[in-house]
Amino acid sequence: MNKENIKNLQQLVKEAAAEYGDKVFLKERQGKDITQKSFNEFYEDVRRISAYVMSKRAGEEALHAAVIGPTSYNWLVSYFGTVSCGSAAVPLDAQLPCEEICDLLNRADVSIFFFDKRYEKMMPAVKAACPEVKEFVSFDDIPALLDANAPAELPEIDPETLAAIVYTSGTTGKSKGVMLLHRNLIDNAMCQDNESSPEDVVMTVLPIHHIYCFTCDILCSLRYGATLCVNDSMLHIPQNLKLYAPTLMLIVPMIAETIYKQIKAASGANPGIPLAAIANSVFGGRLKTIYSGGAYLRPELQKAYIDMGINMAQGYGMTECSPRISTADPTDHSCAGDVGVIVNGCQVKIEDGEILAKSPSVMAGYYKDEAATAEAITPDGWLRTGDLGYVENNRIFITGRKKNLIILANGENVSPEELENKFAGRDFISEVLVYSEDDVITAEIFPNAEYCKEMTSEEIEKLFADTVKEINKTVTSAKQIHRLRIRDVEFDKTTSKKIRRNQSVQGKQI
Amino acid sequence: MLEKIKELIVNYVDVNTDDITEESRFVEDLGFNSYDFMSLLGELENEFDITVDESDAIDIHTVGEAVKYLEDLKK
Repeated sequence: MNKENIKNLQQLVKEAAAEYGDKVFLKERQGKDITQKSFNEFYEDVRRISAYVMSKRAGEEALHAAVIGPTSYNWLVSYFGTVSCGSAAVPLDAQLPCEEICDLLNRADVSIFFFDKRYEKMMPAVKAACPEVKEFVSFDDIPALLDANAPAELPEIDPETLAAIVYTSGTTGKSKGVMLLHRNLIDNAMCQDNESSPEDVVMTVLPIHHIYCFTCDILCSLRYGATLCVNDSMLHIPQNLKLYAPTLMLIVPMIAETIYKQIKAASGANPGIPLAAIANSVFGGRLKTIYSGGAYLRPELQKAYIDMGINMAQGYGMTECSPRISTADPTDHSCAGDVGVIVNGCQVKIEDGEILAKSPSVMAGYYKDEAATAEAITPDGWLRTGDLGYVENNRIFITGRKKNLIILANGENVSPEELENKFAGRDFISEVLVYSEDDVITAEIFPNAEYCKEMTSEEIEKLFADTVKEINKTVTSAKQIHRLRIRDVEFDKTTSKKIRRNQSVQGKQI
Repeated sequence: MLEKIKELIVNYVDVNTDDITEESRFVEDLGFNSYDFMSLLGELENEFDITVDESDAIDIHTVGEAVKYLEDLKK
């Protein structure tokens, strides 16, 4: 695909159809069957939904249509049908409770709501709370909508048109609506080359409202002509890996970590079989590359995957940058602890330790929140990422989040993530949170029950105290952990499984 | 039902079936993480020919709750 011809999402879908035609674009499970759609069918269905969306507009004015549900063909035609006629999509987190969904529908000025049928029972409450939402379209009604609407003649879309409002799910504070233009999303999908090919089979497992999944799984599959296989449920990942036998996947470190643990356990039970052979079988037999993002990836885990014959590369970004700021070349096996090389067209600088990025992928701002926009983007267009780090040989290294920085009474600044990462890879720890308690750096740990089941509480306490001592030897005196708490329930988390900071202290002090 | 669940649990975590009771908590007592737990539910779906709603998983904390949830689905 000649990327110079692609300036907006409508052109991306159109060019994908022109170039890849009847090749399979998407496969998904419908009960026990698998259905598939070609690039041509997708383009036609997108235009049918555009015809529907255009019929609901007042004149030429763009409207906002929200989409909620797990990844599916219907989700994709709803989204692309909306943006391809110049209206804006509002992808919502499928795990939000009803009250928050209503709040976001109102805040984003949504007038059409596309939803998976599992939200059907929520609709009376949504209708009552969101009077501006005029049209409710269940994914079950999409086939009828496709039949009822002829493919639209699509209008020309200026690349500066708003394509999406994406709500961030931050670990603190109220979510903000990131306004992404067609230009932003296209720039990010096109910023690298040769990442994939029409021979690739991509199994998409991450939540589709996340921009990382949307840009790298969906937009890149359209660009490169790869076949997208939908993991229909978190319950079915092991089965779907065998069913689809993907060649390429985007995952978060927790999934990589757990699958590796299972491979190691299987190897223990079958000592004669090499780890690589077990991994090959678990992943369906064809997996070449995994991209990891969303959280810290241990270099040791990355190396373990590479040793099993699977390229593992790490990327870094944020919703506000559509999202990629850096990405690694999967064939680079240096495992240096960085989060990849700065992507083409993106500039990065460090100011007071914070990473700032400037690129055509940077958002237009937060929807109806000028104050937050002014805080996030400098007057000369640099996005403040809020992440602390440094750049070496064009590679980004992250040390923590600025807002999480612990500032001790002695003026020392300590990044809790830097200390938390030092606990990673220890089997006896499930979760850890580092924070300041009465000006004392405290580590609160939720032990791994399976590992610790045979141990007395004294033994567990000694193990953790020794671990902290070990970690303290590797950091300067200002960063040392002086208090340890052990808790018996897991930490409260966001819907994207990140531990919420600022939650009340529960663990027993050791 | 309980026996079948116990049989599957030991494929995910290093515990003996005798140590698993209806009161055992998946995360805190048995050492499951969310990925393991979802995969277990996926296996139970196949085993009992039922469809588990992913969003229901959040309300299942103990083995006993899983048994009750699956029995209700079977009805």
